[in-house]
Amino acid sequence: MFLVGSFFLFAAFLITTCIFVIFSKNPVNSVLFLVLAFLNSTFLFILIGAEFVGIILAIVYIGAVAILFLFVVMMLDIQITTLMFNIKRYIPLALLFAGIILAEIVYLTVFKTSKDNLDTFIRSKNNTEQIGDVLYTEYFIDFQLSGIVLLLAMIGAIVLTHVYRPTIKRQNIESQNSTTAEDRVKLLKIKSGEGIKDD
Amino acid sequence: MTSLSFELTIGILKIFSFVVPVLVSVALLVYLERKVLGAVQLRKGPNVVGPFGILQSFADVLKLLTKENLLPSSSNKFLFIFAPMLTLILSLIAWAVIPISSTYVIANINIGILYLFAVSSFGVYGVIIAGWASNSKYPFLGALRSAAQMISYEVSIGFVIITVLICVGSLNLIDIVESQKNMWFAIPLLPMFVIFIISALAETNRLPFDLPEDEATLVAGFFTEYSSISFGLFFLAEYANMILMSSLTVILFLGGWYPPIDIFPLNVIPGIFWFVIKVFLILFVFLWVRATFPRYRYDQLMRLGWKIFLPFTLIWVVITSAFLFYFGLLPN
Repeated sequence: MFLVGSFFLFAAFLITTCIFVIFSKNPVNSVLFLVLAFLNSTFLFILIGAEFVGIILAIVYIGAVAILFLFVVMMLDIQITTLMFNIKRYIPLALLFAGIILAEIVYLTVFKTSKDNLDTFIRSKNNTEQIGDVLYTEYFIDFQLSGIVLLLAMIGAIVLTHVYRPTIKRQNIESQNSTTAEDRVKLLKIKSGEGIKDD
Repeated sequence: MTSLSFELTIGILKIFSFVVPVLVSVALLVYLERKVLGAVQLRKGPNVVGPFGILQSFADVLKLLTKENLLPSSSNKFLFIFAPMLTLILSLIAWAVIPISSTYVIANINIGILYLFAVSSFGVYGVIIAGWASNSKYPFLGALRSAAQMISYEVSIGFVIITVLICVGSLNLIDIVESQKNMWFAIPLLPMFVIFIISALAETNRLPFDLPEDEATLVAGFFTEYSSISFGLFFLAEYANMILMSSLTVILFLGGWYPPIDIFPLNVIPGIFWFVIKVFLILFVFLWVRATFPRYRYDQLMRLGWKIFLPFTLIWVVITSAFLFYFGLLPN
């Protein structure tokens, strides 16, 4: 009873926050509602006993991804009216993605597994240990491939943004650290009335 | 039904038994910091309110409470008020999983260390929301700096935690402490211990890494616009976070509630005493560092995080796991 009640509570919150993500006029508010949506999905994962997946979702998406979103969105100067006007253009694409995700959910829940099978799978052992058991053995190739995909994305982003400009002055940390007082300061004895001879 | 309400009462009492000592020790920590800084700089420090000035922080809190809370007219009002609350809440809810002794803990959950890591990574939201909601340039720059800084140092903190977890074989905080019964992890993992303390300084925005509130360039950083008790909440949260990171250091590296050597006069002293003593020592290191080192420049901070700590911790994760695997010391 408690489980079902909290499921509907968090699910309702999740859907509400998702709606606010789309319809908030201020993009910063959108990102903050997105954070709430991630938090609610974390709670949902914990409710079904998948505490490891839930907390990893919180660490990765709330603790890193959404902060970077917020970081970028805060610095943008977005005209709110144009943003609202353009939203209609993206509706067909959004419907397409929604259809794909819905089809995946239906495939996974209806055809792939039966329900009590999943339940015993979850309850039989510590959630974290179970993931650890299969991640590097059964799903080794998939895991490494997804890592390589992420690496490629990162390198691509760096290549796109990191343009070498010869006019920019850069610091050479090693040479800065290896300088001593003798390189920078020289003690001279100056006779009165002669000044410094530049040599 | 009575058993439920009984459990609820016990739970609430347990929560108070953690939160009240934490808040009191925040006040004492502020006093201690001013005394230590005074001693380092050959001054007396606070010495007027109460015996040896020990009530100074309580007097400061009362002063903050009686002042007017100013709301900048161009700020986002809701988020402006919400940010300090969020910061304090996050620094207090982390205490739910901290084990003071082998039995004294509010919630002994399987993924305690991940919960702590998640909560400490949420801490940046308070800062970044405060900076944005103030709608003013210095708080905004402070918020941007802190967002980048805290994310950078979380990466190396994550690798340090992974090294400890490889040696323990469990994510449960009590298991982590109990596996240090014979040897504290600070000894075999000394470099990671040092890196963890330095990253903790950066994560709690303490000197020499307090660039988010760098008064020389940013007035007061992200809380420039805050006054009265909303400033007080940020202040409380910063010190509560310091105590939290120190306890995390004690749990991960200094054997939690265990005495230094397991011999007669030491092991009859209750574990909570050892825990408090160790936390106090780490906190003293925090204050000592503040009195000793000058502030880093921002590019030096980023270089230290990404170019030195990240590769070093990554290599240590590999070395530790290879060592444990080769000598058959892996847990389980």
